[in-house]
Amino acid sequence: MDNFFLLLGMALFTLVLLCLYRGVFGPGVLNRMAGICAIGTKTLVILLLMGFIYNRVEMFIDISMVYAFLNFVGTITAAKYLEIKGEA
Amino acid sequence: MTRVTDDIIIRAVARILIPFIQLYALYVIMHGHHSPGGGFQGGVIMGASFILYLLTHGLEEAKTRMSEIRAGVFSSFGLLVYSGIGLLCLILGSNYLDYGKLSTVLKVIPAQARSLGILGVEIGVGIAVMAVMFSIFFDISTGGILPEDEEDLGARDG
Amino acid sequence: MEVTVLVQATDKAFEILEKARNEARELLYSSAKLTSETKSLAERRQARAFLSGAQQSKLALRNFTIAFFVLFAFWILLSARFDYFHLTLGIICSMLVAYMSHDLLFSNIRLGDVRIKARRFFAAAPWFLGQIFSANLHVAYLALSPKMPVDPQIIRFKTKLESDISWVALANSITLTPGTITVDIREGEFFVHALDRKVAYELSTGQMEDKIAHVLMEADHVYIQDVLDVSRIFGALK
Repeated sequence: MDNFFLLLGMALFTLVLLCLYRGVFGPGVLNRMAGICAIGTKTLVILLLMGFIYNRVEMFIDISMVYAFLNFVGTITAAKYLEIKGEA
Repeated sequence: MTRVTDDIIIRAVARILIPFIQLYALYVIMHGHHSPGGGFQGGVIMGASFILYLLTHGLEEAKTRMSEIRAGVFSSFGLLVYSGIGLLCLILGSNYLDYGKLSTVLKVIPAQARSLGILGVEIGVGIAVMAVMFSIFFDISTGGILPEDEEDLGARDG
Repeated sequence: MEVTVLVQATDKAFEILEKARNEARELLYSSAKLTSETKSLAERRQARAFLSGAQQSKLALRNFTIAFFVLFAFWILLSARFDYFHLTLGIICSMLVAYMSHDLLFSNIRLGDVRIKARRFFAAAPWFLGQIFSANLHVAYLALSPKMPVDPQIIRFKTKLESDISWVALANSITLTPGTITVDIREGEFFVHALDRKVAYELSTGQMEDKIAHVLMEADHVYIQDVLDVSRIFGALK
């Protein structure tokens, strides 16, 4: 079962790399922001998978929830900032 | 950044999510000695919930919940809780923040007194961090000038 | 000529409506006064509280209680420690948060039976899942086919839903379905980005809107609200 979680995590990690490409080289601010938000959701699942591998799911659920909350707030803050700067 | 916009989706989602974020922040503070987290982390999450409210509902409504004056009072109060527990240990005849001596006040065994003392200190740290986070964001987003200050300045100029 | 006649008729109709409303209110007041003189103190107070519309504090207390129980259930889910110390901490924290933000959690609550809503939600959930699955396959086909036959467009439509919660439910369902993203809602008008013509057509049939109206009891809320109000008035008068 651990191998399955490991493979799943590695597959997600390759997707994270693809999103990271968009985040670093993406033309324009909005593409970068979208890429980073996608990385956030994938990191959430990777954290949970790590919890399953280390048999400490309850601890990693706490961490991933904080990650989700702060990702949400951070995305909204960045979007508001860009909206007011008008740098779309 | 504090202008009110009519983003219905974000407002409604934030409205429902904020109580749960606040409860989660308190959970992180209270369970700091069993699971990851503690005073600072919980305080940051609590501050983030107020920042989210300010972002989604605007400055005027946010002031009814957490004003700048209240944030200042809370930050001092958190520091008071922290240093008060430390000084209490000092008064009882041991080192600063040496919670073992609190067992004479709380009437429990020293190990439990240590746990409770750490909990109290973490609550203080959480309150202070929450208030400071919020007031930093408040100052940055308004540029240090509140609407009533602007009116005062205008009156003085005229 | 016709316009002025129409305006006069509308004015007249509004006048009649206003008069009828005033008469009904006076009737209610007088009948409540009559009955309250023969009834016990508690019932009299209840009738007066209802008729004067001074239910704010009671409503706040009810919201506080419901919010407290919801938040305490969330605390139990998070904490999963059942010793007295942690349960007491949970009760204190839930009360604190419920006191701080119960008006946020239930600021715009709509009447309607929660049980009916839950039943309708579970009945409608498979349809939504099937919709998401088929849209997923369609978007995968669009992305993987070498010609990339996409035809991006922004469509806008006026919704018949009323409350902000159902707007948000519709917007999030649209966003959750692959291929379509809700860009903005302006005064009940949805701006949706669709990936190609087929997706846009499926959206414009309005099937999803109907489902959400059904689940959130949008269509029959007026009726329920009326029944509840009338029953309360009768309860107060009796």
